Amino acid sequence: MNATSVSKRGDKGRVPWVSLSAFVLRFPWVWVFIAVVAIWAAIVVISGRGFLGTMTAVVALAPFLVMVGIGQLFVITLGNGNIDLSVEYSMPLAGFVGISVMNGGGARIGLGILAAVGVGLVVAAANLFCILVLSIPPIVATLAVGLVTYSASSIQAQNFSALPNQELHSFTTSSVGGVAWLAIICVCLAVAAAGLLHRTSYGRALEAVGQSLRAARLAGVPVTRVTIMSYFICGVLAALSGLLLSTYISPSVVIGQPYLLNSIAVVVLGGSLITGGRSNIVGVWGGALFLLLLTTLLNVLHIATATQDIVKGGLIILVLALVQTDRIEGS
Amino acid sequence: MSVTAVGETAVRLGGSPLFEDWHEVASDGVPVLALVAMLICTVVLVPASRSTSGMELLLLPAVPLVIAALSQMFVIVLGDIDLGTGYLVGLSNVVSARYLAADPMVAVGLFVVIVCAYMAVGAVIEVRKIPSIIVTLGASFIWLGFALVIFPIPGGTSPGWLTSVMNWSPPVVPAAVVFAVVLCVIGYVITDHTAYGTVMRGAGSNRLAVTRYGWSMLKVRVVCYGLAGIFGVLSGLTLTGMTSSGDANASANYTLLAIASVILGGGLFSGGRARATGTVIGAFAISLVAQLLVFFNVSSAYQAAAQGLILVAVLAGRALLGIGER
Repeated sequence: MNATSVSKRGDKGRVPWVSLSAFVLRFPWVWVFIAVVAIWAAIVVISGRGFLGTMTAVVALAPFLVMVGIGQLFVITLGNGNIDLSVEYSMPLAGFVGISVMNGGGARIGLGILAAVGVGLVVAAANLFCILVLSIPPIVATLAVGLVTYSASSIQAQNFSALPNQELHSFTTSSVGGVAWLAIICVCLAVAAAGLLHRTSYGRALEAVGQSLRAARLAGVPVTRVTIMSYFICGVLAALSGLLLSTYISPSVVIGQPYLLNSIAVVVLGGSLITGGRSNIVGVWGGALFLLLLTTLLNVLHIATATQDIVKGGLIILVLALVQTDRIEGS
Repeated sequence: MSVTAVGETAVRLGGSPLFEDWHEVASDGVPVLALVAMLICTVVLVPASRSTSGMELLLLPAVPLVIAALSQMFVIVLGDIDLGTGYLVGLSNVVSARYLAADPMVAVGLFVVIVCAYMAVGAVIEVRKIPSIIVTLGASFIWLGFALVIFPIPGGTSPGWLTSVMNWSPPVVPAAVVFAVVLCVIGYVITDHTAYGTVMRGAGSNRLAVTRYGWSMLKVRVVCYGLAGIFGVLSGLTLTGMTSSGDANASANYTLLAIASVILGGGLFSGGRARATGTVIGAFAISLVAQLLVFFNVSSAYQAAAQGLILVAVLAGRALLGIGER
C-alpha cells in the first residue's frame, strides 16, 4: 500500500506513473469527465439517441443534484467525520413550505424562496446544535435531525393542496439554446463556490480544518465559525434544490430520497477526499453528469431500479477503494 | 491513622477510583433505569400488559431489534458506524422468507454469502482506510437492491420450525425474557470472556497498541464485521419467524434504533467499549418506546421524529451525566 501511495511529491518524474499520479493529484476530476464521455458515447451507440439530445436531458436534471452536491462538499471538506445526512429530508420540507407560501401567486415567489431558505437554515441550526453543543457525532446528529425533519414534512404532506407556482415551474423547465436556465445558473453557482473555496479566507480555513483539526486549532483557525458556515451553506443549497425540484416535479415526502447517496457520490466521484481537506467543485458537475448518464444508461438497458441501487452502491465502494488512497501526507 | 493511609494509597494507586466508578456505574445503570422506567410506563398505561401473555406481546417485537443492536455493537466497538444494519436485516428477512421453507440449502448458502460480504466490507474499510459510514452507506444500497430483486413487494412465508420458535410461550416468564438472557450471555461471552473480545475492545480504544502487540487490525475488522453480519442475519431470521413474511423495507429504521441501543447500553462512538448486557437492555427499552407510540395511535408521521428525538435524548442525557465520549 505504501508503494502505491502518492505522498512523495518531491521525486516527481522518476517513474512514469508517479508523475501521472501527480497529475491526478492536481486534477482529480479528470477521471470522472473521461467516464462521462465514455458513458455518453455508450448511450448514443446502444439507444441510437441523438448525441446532443442525450446530454440536454441530463443537463436539465443535473442542477438539482449539483446544488445539493456542492452543499455536501462544503460539509465533507470539514473532515473529521462531518457529513450531512439530513439533506434527504430537508429537501421535501423546503419544497412543501416554499410552495405553500407561494400559493398566493406571482408576487409571493420571493417570499416562498425566503421561506425555503429559512427551512434550510433551521435544519442546519438544529444539526449544529446537536454537533457543537451536545457533542453528538455529525453522522448521528444529522440523521436524527433528518428524522425529525421527515416527520415535519409528513405532517405538511397531510391535506397539502397548494400547487407549485406556475411561473417558477416554467422557469425550471425553460432553456436557452437547448441548455436549461437552471444549469446555466448552477454553473455560475459552481464558479462562485469554487471562488469561496479557493480564494477566500473561509475556504482556506475550511481546507485547513479538514486536513488537520489540531493544526488548524493551534494556528488560530476559527474552527467553530468555519463549521457553522459550512453547515449553513449545505442547508441553504439543499433547501433551494428541494424547492426547485418540488416545483419541477411535484411536492412529495420522498423527493429527496435519491439525493442522500447521490450527493455524497458526486463529491467522491469528483475526486474530492471523503476524509476532507481537499475538494474541488468542478468534480461535482462531473459526478452529477456521470450519475445521471449512468441512470440513463441503466434505463436504456431496461435494468430495474433495485438493480440500479446495487450498481450505484457497488460503484461508490469501488471508486472509494480505488481513488481514496491519494491522501495528503500525515492526514 | 493507618486506615487513612491505606485509603490514600488506594486513591493514589487507582487514580481517582470514585470518579472512574461513577463512570462505570452510571454507564451500566442508565440502560437498566431506562428499561425499568419504560416497563413502569407500560404497565401503568397499558392494562393489558399486566399478564405474562400481554407482556409477551409487547416484548417479543423487541427481539429482532435486540439482535440487530448486537450486530451494530460489534461495529461500534471499533469506532466505526454501520449505516447498513437495517437493510442487512431486511435482506436476511427476505432471503429467509423466500428460500428457507422451500430450499433450506439455498437460504443457508445465501446467509454465508451475506456474512462473507460483510467481512469484505470490513476488509475494504481497513485496507483502503475509508470511513466506515460511506462504505456501509454504499453497501446498504446493495443489500436493499438485492432484497428488492428477490421480493419487489413483501411476500414469502416462514418455515414451521421458525414460527414455532418465535411463538414459543414458556410458563411464568415471557419468551422474550428467555431470548434476552440467552443473547446477553452470548454477547457477554464473546466480548468479555474470549481473548479476541479483549482484542476487539483494544482495537477500538488504542489501535496502535493492538498492532504493536502483533495483532492484525485487518483480521480484527474482518472478524468484527463478520460477527455483525452473523447477528444481522439472525435478526432477519427472527423477524421472518414473527411476521411470516419478507419485506425489504420493514426493518429500515433498525439502523438508527440499533445505534441508539448500543449507545444507551454504554457503548462509545469513539470505540473501545462493548456492553452486550447494556445493549440488550437498551434495545428492549427503545423498542418499548416504539411499541407505546403504536399503542397510543401516535400518527406514523410523528414516529420518525420520536426515533430521532430518542437518539438525541440518549446522547444529550449521557453528556449531562458526564459519561459521554472520552
